[in-house]
Amino acid sequence: MRIVIVGNGPAAVAAAETIRDLDGGCGIVMVSQESVPFYSPCPLAEYVEASVPRAHLFLRPESFYRDLGIETRFGLAATAVDSAARKLTLGSGAAATQLEYDRLLIAAGARAVMPPLPGLADTPGVFALKTLADAEGILARLAQVRRAVVIGSGFIGLEAAQALVRKGVAVTVIEAMGQVLPQMLDAELAALVESRLREHGVDVRTNSAAQAVLGGAAGVAAVKAGGVDIPCELVVCAAGVRPDVAWLAGSGIATAAGVLVDDRMATNLPGIYAAGDIVETNDSLGQRRVIGNWPNAVNGGRIAGLNMMGVERRYRGLDGINVVRIFDLPVSSFGGRDGERSLCRKEGGHMRKLALRNGRIVGGQFYGDVNGTGLYHELMNKGVDVGSFEDELLAPGFGIGRLMPQPPLPLRRAA
Amino acid sequence: MEKSIFTFIEKCVACKGCEIACAVEHSSDKTLFGALADNPRPRQRVRVEAAGAYSYPARCQHCQEAACIAACPMGAMTRDPDTHAVYVDSHKCVGCWMCVMVCPFGGVSADPVAKKAHKCDRCPERTAVGLDPACVAACPTKAMVFATPEEIAELRRQATAAAAAGIATTPVASSVAAWRTMKGGA
Ligand SMILES: Cc1cc2nc3c(=O)[nH]c(=O)nc-3n(C[C@H](O)[C@H](O)[C@H](O)COP(=O)(O)OP(=O)(O)OC[C@H]3O[C@@H](n4cnc5c(N)ncnc54)[C@H](O)[C@@H]3O)c2cc1C
Repeated sequence: MRIVIVGNGPAAVAAAETIRDLDGGCGIVMVSQESVPFYSPCPLAEYVEASVPRAHLFLRPESFYRDLGIETRFGLAATAVDSAARKLTLGSGAAATQLEYDRLLIAAGARAVMPPLPGLADTPGVFALKTLADAEGILARLAQVRRAVVIGSGFIGLEAAQALVRKGVAVTVIEAMGQVLPQMLDAELAALVESRLREHGVDVRTNSAAQAVLGGAAGVAAVKAGGVDIPCELVVCAAGVRPDVAWLAGSGIATAAGVLVDDRMATNLPGIYAAGDIVETNDSLGQRRVIGNWPNAVNGGRIAGLNMMGVERRYRGLDGINVVRIFDLPVSSFGGRDGERSLCRKEGGHMRKLALRNGRIVGGQFYGDVNGTGLYHELMNKGVDVGSFEDELLAPGFGIGRLMPQPPLPLRRAA
Repeated sequence: MEKSIFTFIEKCVACKGCEIACAVEHSSDKTLFGALADNPRPRQRVRVEAAGAYSYPARCQHCQEAACIAACPMGAMTRDPDTHAVYVDSHKCVGCWMCVMVCPFGGVSADPVAKKAHKCDRCPERTAVGLDPACVAACPTKAMVFATPEEIAELRRQATAAAAAGIATTPVASSVAAWRTMKGGA
């Protein structure tokens, strides 16, 4: 049997390891449009700021693919799937080749969104921060950069901004919405993040949509946003990421915003599975969503690998969790903000908020102290009715102990 | 099976001896005075929490399918191949806190000073030479026991027998239902 995996990120690698664990003999081919071995994109901003060495990005030994008997086709993009013939096309035009599969895993991740602004696509000095190549492009250009504009204030934009500040660059962050981290935080917490960014020298401009990138063949000169030109020598476009499903058109694989999979990570077509940032499936509360993060990629990859090998294992759903550090201060959120009520605790410059609906936690936001987020998140996932101890939830010292089963108390008999 | 730490919450008297022993064990010279002199102060990896009518020394459960290992994008959260304990390789940890986000027990915390994930490592230096983890060794009421599941089953049988010999039970707190739900889907 031959398994073909499109991708070489955490979802692909988790699946490959799971499959090899179950079957020492089957053929495994991994295809990646990047030429480098498996790496983690998560510390790319830290790599740019030089706090994480390049070697630490690579999470497996050099001999990984050989040790696991994995055939690699790196530096080649998958461009089409012929599900009737069970063939994957690599490359395009005259150079196109085909690869036969018995089972196919699509773990091609997401792509940075590059808005169709004049000058954005073709001016030197404009980068996303999505791949190792992006980070190296930024690094190679840094020597000639005094000022940078970051388009977008999601977590990747803010990580990029901090890394550049730490490199001595004057940074402006422009955000089309009225607040930073609009996907992650409400306005009150976002305001705390904005002031912290400003304290550290970042020029944060909300309600400021990028209109054009100005410059020429020599490089970027400015970004036009909200009617003003912001001069710069570098642009980081962090306008979000999105699954790239265009190359699957015509394959018969059902897609919406992402590749649609069930709780076995199976697509609508037999033998074809998907995992990681590219999928659209139920979250832990049963809402169909696209939620790209590392744990979802690893867990989904593992579930896909098991089911591809005939071991039935169901996924409990994507976890909507986010965490970012704003100049070393942790900020996190999970779930939604659409509760009926919210609990809030402010202490020593920190803020914690939980959103409640029908006696259950439906989301949380944490500024400054993220400890315990996992417990609240689990209470949400399990649908635990917290009504009877709601007032204790955000009190100091609340922990798993509060949920422990109570052993019988010995009854003292009256003397 | 290998040994792990079991807790009998009905025996915990919240003396916090485990917290101190843990901090001392994870200090530079492993003595109380040394620990007090350490800068930054060593932090304990076990926390005595209120647990209804009882208290509970909360710490990492060293889960078999550990969410923190899957969630770590640096390969820093690792399982010791010999003891099966889950520990943080602090050279690799960048303090991104994904582990804190996914631990359903609150067993991993963010160390704000070191900027590294912080959790129970089950005292590898002690267990390698046959000693119990520091928290277990320090517990004056044996609320924590370092044992195999088989040994624990035996202890529980004995305890049940003792209970049957005359101790009645009181109604159980409402949070039991919550705990069951949590355990149920795990
Ligand atoms: C700067 C940055 C910081 C991040 N920080 C965090 C964080 O702190 N915590 C967190 O949980 N997540 C973080 N993430 C997100 C996390 O990295 C992703 O969720 C995760 O990598 C997704 O894994 P994946 O395997 O689905 O896809 P990816 O890791 O994106 O891998 C996709 C793979 O597919 C290949 N590929 C793509 N298209 C094709 C094609 N057509 N043909 C062949 N190969 C193809 C790519 O080359 C790559 O090998 C961060 C991401 C970035 C960019």
